[in-house]
Amino acid sequence: MMDRYTKLQMVGIYVAVAIFLTFMLLPFFEMFMASLRPLEHLFRSPYQFWSDDFSFQAYRDMWVTVPLLGRYILNSIFISLSVTAMTMVFVVPAAYAYARLEFPFKNITLGIFLGVNMFTGAVLLIPLYRVLRSLGLLNTYWAMIVPGVAFLIPTGIWLLRSYLAKIPRELEEAAFVDGASRLYTLRRVVLPLAVPGLIVVSVAVFIGAYAQQFLFAITFNQKRELQPLPAGLFEFIGYQDVTWNQMMAAALVGVLPVMLIFLFLQKYLVAGLTAGAVKE
Amino acid sequence: MATLDLLSISKSFGAAKVLHDISLAIEDREFVVFVGPSGCGKSTLLRIIAGLEEATSGQIMIGGEDVSAAPPVERGISMVFQSYALYPHLSVYENIAFPLRVQKLPQVEMDERVQRAAGILQLTDKLDLKPGQLSGGQRQRVAIGRSIVRNPKVFLFDEPLSNLDAALRGDMRVELSQLHRQLDATMVYVTHDQVEAMTMADRIVVLNGGRVEQFGTPMELYHHPRTKFVASFIGQPNMNLVPATVVAADASGAKVALEGGHEMVLPVAAGTLSSGDKVEVGIRPEHVEQDRPGLDVAVNVLERLGGTSIVYGSLQDGARFCASLPGDAVIAEGGSVHLGVAPEACHLFDASGDVLRRTSAPEIQ
Repeated sequence: MMDRYTKLQMVGIYVAVAIFLTFMLLPFFEMFMASLRPLEHLFRSPYQFWSDDFSFQAYRDMWVTVPLLGRYILNSIFISLSVTAMTMVFVVPAAYAYARLEFPFKNITLGIFLGVNMFTGAVLLIPLYRVLRSLGLLNTYWAMIVPGVAFLIPTGIWLLRSYLAKIPRELEEAAFVDGASRLYTLRRVVLPLAVPGLIVVSVAVFIGAYAQQFLFAITFNQKRELQPLPAGLFEFIGYQDVTWNQMMAAALVGVLPVMLIFLFLQKYLVAGLTAGAVKE
Repeated sequence: MATLDLLSISKSFGAAKVLHDISLAIEDREFVVFVGPSGCGKSTLLRIIAGLEEATSGQIMIGGEDVSAAPPVERGISMVFQSYALYPHLSVYENIAFPLRVQKLPQVEMDERVQRAAGILQLTDKLDLKPGQLSGGQRQRVAIGRSIVRNPKVFLFDEPLSNLDAALRGDMRVELSQLHRQLDATMVYVTHDQVEAMTMADRIVVLNGGRVEQFGTPMELYHHPRTKFVASFIGQPNMNLVPATVVAADASGAKVALEGGHEMVLPVAAGTLSSGDKVEVGIRPEHVEQDRPGLDVAVNVLERLGGTSIVYGSLQDGARFCASLPGDAVIAEGGSVHLGVAPEACHLFDASGDVLRRTSAPEIQ
């Protein structure tokens, strides 16, 4: 058996996992602790880990300090969902074509897609700004959605293509022999079988969209009511002071939806990323 | 139902030519089996008939109509794949109904046709299950069900039994033969298993290296193989080929000296041979008899099957020799036996591997 470990090995594994998790989760933990402290205690020296005046006051005050906070959170989710939906509309047919059809420049274009992934949006901000201005999209939701879609399509194609390529070709040939068109086969045979892969790609795109919206929001949008959460968090930086505890509280509340999605879909993620790796 | 004619079909993948000028005329309601070793082009030929591959040159006629450029569904064919190619997310009913849904058939007629197919294949109580819940044989039947609902003119089978275990394969062979009679359809069946070919086919196409070696009835192939390849491919265990030298030959027979010195007069049309030619004598294991002058064979392995005993031995020069003898033959492993054969049961192949027509063997048409 491959999964038999000695006691010592188990201890080692758990220690490694614990160290890894500490690194990953410590920032979140510190965010949470900061959000509980009253502002004047945040800069207390020496650092005091525990104090008696912890409260959830910041979670109430943040809505007052930044009245549009709810709107920002909804904007974030709306922008990410729109980016995900639009990206999938482009990615599904493209990934299928790359998985199944032969056409000129197939491998070269795939390589270019991979290359595009290496640029961060930051390098292209100025040209993008000019494009969006020419199209009259600045200061609209589109200003944050369109670049998001454009940057996520290559990743989506790469991820979904390898998943679709694993669906047995004979299934499609059988449908073809029975008179089904490509699109009918895609709809009735390929996509239902690719559901786990579609979920994986959608989640990856959603997370990508959630993470990258900050950059596009602060460059392409000036309208307060359209801002997503990461840009909105700036409003906690006031003229006099920075309400760090409220900012941390708002950030945690804003990250919550993504974390929940992850928790619900993690079994698909694991299944999807390793599907076909072993014979079932 | 319909005839299927192939007119000089050739196929190349890049520089590799896999099919060489294949012409076949398959009759209405005939069960034809393409058989050959792997890589002989039999599956490619079937896929060309199906319309999944395009022939590099040549024509395909189904029912007298040229369908070379038509998509599969317009050719009136249906195909059963080696892996069954069932849709795992659809129920058995939906799998069988798939081609009818594509045609947008009315619900009532579709239901009737699916039920009829399920009845023929004894799947009526399995219609709500998913393919994953079925056994290998049942999956195979679902795949066949999907191919019969459309009432095609020609059925194509691509090694449909190769994923089943031996016992089930035997059962499915019988079922397929019955199905052929029941549907009264033209069927083309690809296999690498000569037993499937012999048992099910009306006629067999033996393919080798992308060429048709022979096209004939099973017994014709058995009694009158045209080449050494066909002779050794058809029949179980395989035919023995014993090197020999021509002593004398004319149109009515050839006198040959076998390896080891034994001389035989074989009743074959040997007008093309002359004294001293190197030839090979084909001896089927089942025609070998004990204690008849012929060959001295060292017995290496003896398989007692009950009704028969199979001897795997070697000749004096080390060449392997197999014989199928009566079940209670007195032989011992490690010993040696005298094995002979009636001259009229022998086949004679010239140096190029072509047969010399036997004059006394049963005429099969």
